[in-house]
Amino acid sequence: MISHTKHPYLFDEFFASGKEESISPFLLPSARKWGHNLPLKAAILSACFLLLAYICHFLSPTFAPVFLLFVYILSGTPALIQTVQDLLNLELNIDILMTLAALLSVVIGSGMEGGLLLVLFELAGSMEIAVTQKTKNALSHLNKLSPTTAYLVEKDGHLVERSVREIPINSHILVKAGEIVPLDGHVIEGSSFITLDHLTGESAPITKTMGDEVPAGAKNLDGTLTLRTTKSYKDSTLRQIIELITHAQESKPTLQRWIDRIDKKYATTIIILTFLFAISLPWFFPHLPYIGVEGSIYRALTFLIAASPCALVIGAPTAYLSAISASASHGILLKGGAILDALAKCKKVAFDKTGTLTTGSLRCTNISPLTEKAATIPITQALSIAGALERPVKHPIANAILSFIQEKNLPYAAIENFLAVAGRGVKATLSDTSLPCYLGNKAFLLEQHPELQPFFSSNLSSSVQTYLFYDQALFAFHFEDEIRPYAKEVLSDLQKNLNMDISILTGDEEHNAQKVATQLEIQHVLSQLKPEDKLAQIAKLSHKQDLIMIGDGVNDAPALARATVGISMGKIGSSAAIAVSDVIFLHDNLSHLPWIIKKSHDTLRIIKQNLSLALCVIFLASIPALFGWVPLWLAVVLHEGGTLLVGLNSLRLLRKK
Amino acid sequence: MPHPASDHFQGKTIPEHLKDARMKGAQATSELHGLEISGSQSAFADTVRDTSLTFAMLWLLLHTYLPQLTTLLAIIALGWLIWKTARSASLGWARLSRLHRVIEEERWEIEHHREQEREELVELYRAKGFRDPLLTQVVDVLMADDNRLLEIMLDEELGLPMESYEHPLQQASFACIGGIACLALGALGFILWGTLGLLSAFFLSFVLSGAYTAKIQRIALLPACIWNVSIFTLSIGIVYLIEKSVLI
Repeated sequence: MISHTKHPYLFDEFFASGKEESISPFLLPSARKWGHNLPLKAAILSACFLLLAYICHFLSPTFAPVFLLFVYILSGTPALIQTVQDLLNLELNIDILMTLAALLSVVIGSGMEGGLLLVLFELAGSMEIAVTQKTKNALSHLNKLSPTTAYLVEKDGHLVERSVREIPINSHILVKAGEIVPLDGHVIEGSSFITLDHLTGESAPITKTMGDEVPAGAKNLDGTLTLRTTKSYKDSTLRQIIELITHAQESKPTLQRWIDRIDKKYATTIIILTFLFAISLPWFFPHLPYIGVEGSIYRALTFLIAASPCALVIGAPTAYLSAISASASHGILLKGGAILDALAKCKKVAFDKTGTLTTGSLRCTNISPLTEKAATIPITQALSIAGALERPVKHPIANAILSFIQEKNLPYAAIENFLAVAGRGVKATLSDTSLPCYLGNKAFLLEQHPELQPFFSSNLSSSVQTYLFYDQALFAFHFEDEIRPYAKEVLSDLQKNLNMDISILTGDEEHNAQKVATQLEIQHVLSQLKPEDKLAQIAKLSHKQDLIMIGDGVNDAPALARATVGISMGKIGSSAAIAVSDVIFLHDNLSHLPWIIKKSHDTLRIIKQNLSLALCVIFLASIPALFGWVPLWLAVVLHEGGTLLVGLNSLRLLRKK
Repeated sequence: MPHPASDHFQGKTIPEHLKDARMKGAQATSELHGLEISGSQSAFADTVRDTSLTFAMLWLLLHTYLPQLTTLLAIIALGWLIWKTARSASLGWARLSRLHRVIEEERWEIEHHREQEREELVELYRAKGFRDPLLTQVVDVLMADDNRLLEIMLDEELGLPMESYEHPLQQASFACIGGIACLALGALGFILWGTLGLLSAFFLSFVLSGAYTAKIQRIALLPACIWNVSIFTLSIGIVYLIEKSVLI
């Protein structure tokens, strides 16, 4: 596979982002920063102009409209464009009502209130765009991971670089050390360690040799592999995961759709009623004129202002924004306010194991003798030799063994004739005794010493099996994945205080999954799940009750996208998992889970209070307005007062606790 | 001879298709009013020229009739600055949108008319002097990576180089700075020497901006300066003389 650094322009990423200006291939790299978060910048600038207008209103009232004009142009133009587009599409929604209300505010001489309405509306919208922008990049992260070319081995042995789209099944491709496997295939030549951490989150290396199957997306660590492709680009494992994510995202019901439906009905009703009242009021009140301060048009406009759902509209977004802001300062990134709604409804939590409940890094816990001779040799000596053998090697197993030895502060033995066999192990001779020593997997040791077959243990606690052999002594290394700090307390809090049902869904071996479940006292465990199995289990578990899925690997990505709320670990998590998640724990801190669930409950409560207050104001002001009991100015005061109260109530969510 | 089959070439030969594509690329990079060079330096110089000429004409026309012309021009200057800044940003965004649309179209062509794109590449590199087997090898390498292929087609077929444009807001900022600088120079000239100072300052701004444009476009400096002197004199002179003959 060719390194992407050769190609600075990743058009796939640009298109997946929705043609974001900040990554436009035509803009100079130094100019791209101008394109970041433009709607948010415009909203903030608009808010500054509004503040200037407000100050001028007291100091020099003639200048206030100058600054107000900037507010209306900066915030009003996008709103007007949106309104006209909605009208052309025959869509009536709260956007239209807001624009209409803002423009009518100018007509009735309350331009400042109309400006405030526009600024708040644009600020809420731009914040949501900024936060949800990452969701658009979901597939671009996977496209970055997915190689676009491969080295095709021609019949005469020549290597030719080809697009993965043009490589048919049964072609021979070469994958060099350090590259991502571009297409699924069987190994026909070479051996190597590969990791599936891009696909499954499991960082433990796996040996692949002739005849073994290698999935697209695996990372080739040390050797060179020649593969006979078994799937075309369209059917490759990585493409399937991309498809799964796409479908899962599409099938996910969102609160936004529901809000849009309500928007449309409400706005339509209010606009129709306004026109209806303007025309028909004189029929019910024979002495009422159409024009004038007490006329039907005046009353209908008062009704429109009073019934305009500003408080209703900002009641939810400001609460969400406050909660999102508080969460961000807590190290939790939420992709949109609707996620809080969904979180509050969840009654179940499904955890991925590796990288989520555990830290995801391999840790060597012990070394045990397997032969009689081994039992007579001090363990420290074996560790010194193992350290010397693993020191020149760079992969997770070597790192784990070296860390274990360093903890014990042991010196390394002197070795000579070091030789690494890719994907299998290492060998050398001890300098002092000239005895050969081997460290590697079972197959590697059996190649050197077939007589060792009876001594290999089949009951190792770890899925990773690594052995040391020298001078008739055979040792086995034991590895485990560390449980995250406070994981037990967090799970207890979730079960006891928040009444959540907890499950573990993992692609790992059953005994490893059970071990972690026992330690954390979790009853429901499902192991050895492929990405599609996880997706099916999530669909099944969330059939009757809403569910939170928390994970980190690419294999979790479809399940994260399908769950009611997908949460990923920001530090350890794969870019695909982060991209499709609704919530990201930036510090990988599990204790954030109960915090954010409680925050979602608080948000929902505040929103209910806001909506109740907003509806009360609407009913108190709009109906009397038709009878002429509420003048226009009072309607504006009630309308804006309600909006202010709702905004202040929302700010309570900024508290961190 | 027209290419058989595919609607990709729309009945044209490959060289004819490539020529059309170049034209399309040139249209996509140009500003709405012509083929003016984009970017902040150009926007700066363009605004200085427009501002100096417009305000010099306004002063010449109105200073004998309006006693409060200085105040009026200061007010007009604010609107003028907003217009020039917003117009520069708007032109930049329009160009960026066109360029993005062109990439999208070319990407679609690569995905749906791969063979025809290959034929175009063959024709392009044959025109550069490549012959088989090297020609086939080059085309094979270029066709291997879609991202690279798109970049090559944008550059070679449409003549659109990557990473070469400034952000519209950056361009607009320089237009704004150009306007402010020109107006400040005019105001300084007016404070020091009255009408003569103001007109001289605008004249100087106009000529210097012309020289600056010549420098960034790498064209002969002296003829450009003299042409700018002539254009400024002609424009101002026409306004002044007609005003004298019609209104007095």
